[in-house]
Amino acid sequence: MSDVLACDGVAVRYPFAAADAVGPLTLRLARGDRVLLLGPSGCGKSTLLQALTGLIPAALPGARRGQLHLFGQPVESRSPADWAAQVAFLFQDADQTLAGFTLADELAFALENRALPPDDIAARVAQAMAQAGLHPDWMGRRIATLSGGQKQMVALTAVLAQGADLVVADEPTASLAPGAAKMMADLLLAPGKTVLIVDHRLGPVLDRIDRVVVLGRDGQTLAEGPPDKVFASHGADLAAQGIWTPLATRLRLALAAQGVSVPAVVQVADLVAHLPPHADLAPLLLPAACQSGTETLRLNRVDCAPPFGPVVLRNISLGLRAGEVLGILGPNGAGKSTLAACLAGLIPPRAGQRTGPPGAMAFQNADSHFAAETTRAECLAMGVPAADCAALLAGWGLDHVATQHPFSLSAGQKRRLALALLTATDRWPVLVLDEPTAGLDHAGTTRIAGHIRRLAGMGKTLAVITHDADFALSVCDRVIVLAEGRVQADGPARTVLRDTALLQRCGLAPPEAAPLLHWMDRTPC
Amino acid sequence: MLGNLHPLPKLALCLIWIGASVLVFDLRFQLVTLTLAFGLLWGLQRVALWKLLALMVPFALFGFGFLTTSVLFNAESGFALQMANEQALAAPDISPGLVLFTRALACGMVSALFALTTDPGGLVRALMVHLRLPAPVGFALMQAMHLVPDLAREMQVLRMARAMRLGRPMRRLPGPGEVMALTIPLLAFAIRRATRAALAMEARGLRPNAPRTQREILPFQTRDGLAFGMGVGVLAAVLWLV
Repeated sequence: MSDVLACDGVAVRYPFAAADAVGPLTLRLARGDRVLLLGPSGCGKSTLLQALTGLIPAALPGARRGQLHLFGQPVESRSPADWAAQVAFLFQDADQTLAGFTLADELAFALENRALPPDDIAARVAQAMAQAGLHPDWMGRRIATLSGGQKQMVALTAVLAQGADLVVADEPTASLAPGAAKMMADLLLAPGKTVLIVDHRLGPVLDRIDRVVVLGRDGQTLAEGPPDKVFASHGADLAAQGIWTPLATRLRLALAAQGVSVPAVVQVADLVAHLPPHADLAPLLLPAACQSGTETLRLNRVDCAPPFGPVVLRNISLGLRAGEVLGILGPNGAGKSTLAACLAGLIPPRAGQRTGPPGAMAFQNADSHFAAETTRAECLAMGVPAADCAALLAGWGLDHVATQHPFSLSAGQKRRLALALLTATDRWPVLVLDEPTAGLDHAGTTRIAGHIRRLAGMGKTLAVITHDADFALSVCDRVIVLAEGRVQADGPARTVLRDTALLQRCGLAPPEAAPLLHWMDRTPC
Repeated sequence: MLGNLHPLPKLALCLIWIGASVLVFDLRFQLVTLTLAFGLLWGLQRVALWKLLALMVPFALFGFGFLTTSVLFNAESGFALQMANEQALAAPDISPGLVLFTRALACGMVSALFALTTDPGGLVRALMVHLRLPAPVGFALMQAMHLVPDLAREMQVLRMARAMRLGRPMRRLPGPGEVMALTIPLLAFAIRRATRAALAMEARGLRPNAPRTQREILPFQTRDGLAFGMGVGVLAAVLWLV
């Protein structure tokens, strides 16, 4: 039987580019293969996916070399739209790629394009909704009323409804709360499905994939094989390239640097069994203690609402201290971004009082921060003296892109530039970061985490919205959990993030490192 | 109740009323049309009064131009007033400016009646099924409807970013300078978003001129015919009375 997907020497190059964006590489998927494509940011993973059904070069400018076959036929023998009957494609920015007006329209869209009988479409839509746990009442709900995470869930459900032989998914769980991410990974990567998935978040997908293909910074294959073997034998190479590896792999490498040797395991539970009592995990999992100062910001019985929208959070009271990093966690649509804007003072509360200095907010979409033509010009516009711009950019690892347009930077670079601009002056003692690590590779995430702790050490007050409980554990001193319009928990990160019952009730999940925290409690220092 | 009617007969009926409103230059007819549409929305559909009044603001501003021209500058009133006064079904004893003012409001209220009682997605689907609107055009219309709230959200984020940069609190409504500053970024956002949506639709199998089915075809029902007939009947009666 022929392969579902066969790439031989495939490479893609964008117009006017001096080098290939990805490849040349060879990749094969047989029926029932569930393959994870890993790689650092900017290595061409999304480009490769877009070339698979011919979107590049048919709909997007670019040139492809090499042989590419789907179901035994050259991909160019059909248009991208014609491949939709056999290949379901989930885009990275799912919330901007929905076609229908209502949820039912969206789920039926690809099936209608295949001219399936209406009864068949209705049955498939109902089945997909039941699988994804979407209430039938949502059928007529308008897409525009959904949150970003909810839209991503709808896009994933639409892929399930499509019932295609091959699913190609670009970061399908990036905007989902952990509970929803796990459920969707269960459905998308169920045994028997043929799936090629790109995802930085390994947690929900790692134990559901058969094979991992790792691309290096040059867009060529760095390693390929079963996850256990790849992470055991290439863990150090992957870490050096800034690629996400399982927590157990990262810890094993870090412990090796401490002179502690543990076997090459992929699951944290297996790692715990091999940890010697003298292993020092605290600096690897938890933030360095910072001396927090006086309270700089307080919300007192505040109701929060987006501009012109209904109140989404009621009676919120919390205070933030200088040098403290507060984590804000919650399911999709809980009102985290609205609270963030209230904390920063950008949206006045509908009721209650905010006291404290004006704050700044680093938005999810970093593009919103930029208005100048170059990275350096952004610094100047922010009031940074010309003589200090180079040093500022160098401090954030952006000196080599000083003359580039901000929109041309990678996602990680844009986030760093936004943070650099917001912290370049003393104008804002309070900083709120909205999902600062979404879609970043390990190197980008580590860099952001380092800057957050550095800023806290300088006495800034920080609040960080995140879906990544391990990231929250590593940078936050304190965590609040939002759900059902109020604060469900508020306490030290290490305590709140181990309250499994609370987290599950709120559609969240404990960090992958939770068993290690228990181990630390049990093991005498 | 009106929301359950098929969008196409409802659209046809509203267009007929608007057409009659344009052709019949009679204050009484305009007032009856305005009152009927308002009554259906306020009394039957329970639409909030403030919402109806807010919706009428642009129509009132448009009509007010005719009214002030007619009252304050009667001698210089323009070609439009002159032509209106000479229409076949005109009632010349009433100030033409007042008739034009009420006509703008009547047309606005009938438009609001249709817009507030019709599911936009259902309308586009009905146009694709019954009037052979090409699917790419239909889904482009749906995308345009998605774009409006998305643009509003993006505008809020851009305004917050701008307020931070300028170091001053965000005003509730943007001033002219701010609107100018936001135009280009919003346009760029709209183009980026439309490009992504078009790409996604192609990847999901949307092709021009290809056969496609519909999950649900809203059937014409007896009540649609009755409602249409009743609407035309009332129109005929009003025309006969005035």
